[in-house]
Amino acid sequence: MAWQLRSALEIAIKDLTVYSRSRFIWAMMLVAPLLIAGLIYFAFSGLGSSSGGFQVPVTRVQVANLDQPTAQSGGFSAGQMLVEFLQNDDLAGLVQVAVASDEASARSAVDTHASDVALIIPANLTTAVFALDQEAAIVLYQDPTVTIGPGVVKGLVENYLDSFSGGKIALGVVARQLSERGMAVDNTIVQNTITQYAAWIQSLLESRQAGDYPAMRIQSPPGKAVAANSLADLAGKILAGQLIFFAFYTAAATAQSIITEEEQLTLGRLFTTPTPRTTILSGKFMGVFLLVLGQVLVLTAVSSVLFRIHWGQPLSVLMAILGLVAVTTGLGLFLMSFVKNSRQAGAVFGGVLTVLGMAGGLFTAANEGMPRAFETIALLTPHGWALRAWKLSLAGADARAMLLPVAVLLVMGAVLFVGGALTFRRRLS
Amino acid sequence: MQKQKAVEVRGLCKDYGDVHAVQDVSFDVYQGEIFSLLGPNGAGKTTTLSTLSCLLAPTGGDAFIMGHSIRGDSMAVKECIGVVPQEVALYPDLSARENLSFWGKMYGLRGAGLRQRVDEVLQIVGLNNHQKGRVDKFSGGMKRRLNIGIGLLSRPQVLFLDEPTVGIDPQSRRSILDSVIEFNRQGMTILYTTHYMEEAQELSNHIAIMDHGQLIAYGTHEELVKIVGELDRIELTINAESQQVLERWRATEGVHKVSAEDGKLTLLVDDSNIVLPRLFEAAVQAGVRITAIAITEPNLEAVFLQLTGRALRD
Repeated sequence: MAWQLRSALEIAIKDLTVYSRSRFIWAMMLVAPLLIAGLIYFAFSGLGSSSGGFQVPVTRVQVANLDQPTAQSGGFSAGQMLVEFLQNDDLAGLVQVAVASDEASARSAVDTHASDVALIIPANLTTAVFALDQEAAIVLYQDPTVTIGPGVVKGLVENYLDSFSGGKIALGVVARQLSERGMAVDNTIVQNTITQYAAWIQSLLESRQAGDYPAMRIQSPPGKAVAANSLADLAGKILAGQLIFFAFYTAAATAQSIITEEEQLTLGRLFTTPTPRTTILSGKFMGVFLLVLGQVLVLTAVSSVLFRIHWGQPLSVLMAILGLVAVTTGLGLFLMSFVKNSRQAGAVFGGVLTVLGMAGGLFTAANEGMPRAFETIALLTPHGWALRAWKLSLAGADARAMLLPVAVLLVMGAVLFVGGALTFRRRLS
Repeated sequence: MQKQKAVEVRGLCKDYGDVHAVQDVSFDVYQGEIFSLLGPNGAGKTTTLSTLSCLLAPTGGDAFIMGHSIRGDSMAVKECIGVVPQEVALYPDLSARENLSFWGKMYGLRGAGLRQRVDEVLQIVGLNNHQKGRVDKFSGGMKRRLNIGIGLLSRPQVLFLDEPTVGIDPQSRRSILDSVIEFNRQGMTILYTTHYMEEAQELSNHIAIMDHGQLIAYGTHEELVKIVGELDRIELTINAESQQVLERWRATEGVHKVSAEDGKLTLLVDDSNIVLPRLFEAAVQAGVRITAIAITEPNLEAVFLQLTGRALRD
């Protein structure tokens, strides 16, 4: 028994050695699925940004801060706060801020294209913040050939000024209520109110930049909340479809080695050695199994790094891998048992596997809005069940949730394997 | 002392539906001898060999290799034999050494023993300097030698060689024939199939002639030649095809057989000195001219012609 197992393993190792020298196998196993998934991934991620969005060029801003706080503001400077807000590290990807000594040099920087935008903060900005009856205007001096950058700066400044508008409204309400109660509004009260409001505004801006919206709850449909990174989620589904398609393809292509051995007469010669026929066939299938297993392991590992795909819980991923490898090996063997020669095998690859892949939903793996009938048809194919198992794993399903699809895959694989093995035995006897 | 039988074939049959590829074939091969199965293509030689090597299951009869039945104990049979198929059966993507190592493992060889045997076989077939070369880059002769080498890996008691010299150059052919003689000298029993009469004649202790799946003659070269007795074999070439001249020659006194295949005419006659003038006369009467003539001593070709009425050509 041990001798037979070892002989089967030797046959599998020989086959793996032969496969490793085939450029076609390498291309089909690893290059093609990664290439297709990569192309789709980058197509969906705009200009190739890893952040998943449109890349905005950094706008160069010259700030001339002319703000002169009065003693009434108690050291608080709205102009300085605006400069610090724009110089925040979180905005470094949008604006590059330099402080100019005066208004003329800031404007000159724009005129000489050394800067895209000049921001002139008026001398009475802080005063206007504290005084209910005063107004101040910030000047945005921009290069007319640049469009997006000034818009970004304008939006940021407006956002900032809106906060102070709210502060002034709050100050007005406070002053009116104190006045109604017969209390005078002194500088200390004004200063405290503005300072507290400014602090609140600053913390609000920071929390927004961190993606936290106190007045909003961002939610996804039930069961799909796990995929926080939508691009990685999309890439995961696409690659799952490609991985399954090419795993079936690899299994069929390598199961074809039985036909090849028959044609190059080595199979007949093997049958004249003291190695039993069942051991020889087992060795051939072991080779297919090991190759597909290696392919799936490499693809999942590489895609985790390249596309940041989280394939799911380790046990669930392992179950999905086992189910896929079992069913691909079974189907590869089953198909090849009916193929008469290598030429016919090409038609099987091109035809049967592609049709089954389409019916199984492998090419629409990322589309969640498919008609129910399509999903039903998909479950008539091993491809559809394999995709279901991998999607569940991607969605973070635990081992219990994986049991049904994986069990179906294992049963399908076993039935196809037995059917193929019997056909081969009858054919080779 | 009576010689032991290495191969004992009894009423062997192999049918494919209505086609009787091998019909009731029986013969013995003694230990230490070279035995040739001689016959044209399609005679059933390869099918017989494939059945004896347990590649095909017989549909009738049985055979025993070193006392083991091919029906009841095929594993024991396979452990006794080495098989060299007619066509090269190698892995083209592997090197010569990788091929030998793999096939050695299939015969149960492992570790240092395997490495040593692979080295020996590479030496025997003269491929030590090419052991790391991929087989698909080898010449036809090198592939043939490696093909034979695989059959030697297990140091078989009986070596089956199925037409190992088909389609190769004369130098490689000579090398293979010398190797076969050397293997036999070292004590290996050899069952050799061929359609080259001269190979069977040179190599064999015993020869069996097959045609249409049947064994039609069996014996030593001398015993077989006696079948045709003192008949001479004449090969003739004429300037035009003529059914009439064939009819006239068949009716000529002293002519036993006339065969016309592939443009060549072969006749078995009593005494060529007496019969030849009659053949010329018949040719003149039929309006054809004899352009070439060759007279040979009785040989296996003549035996085949005598037994089947056809020449042993292809």
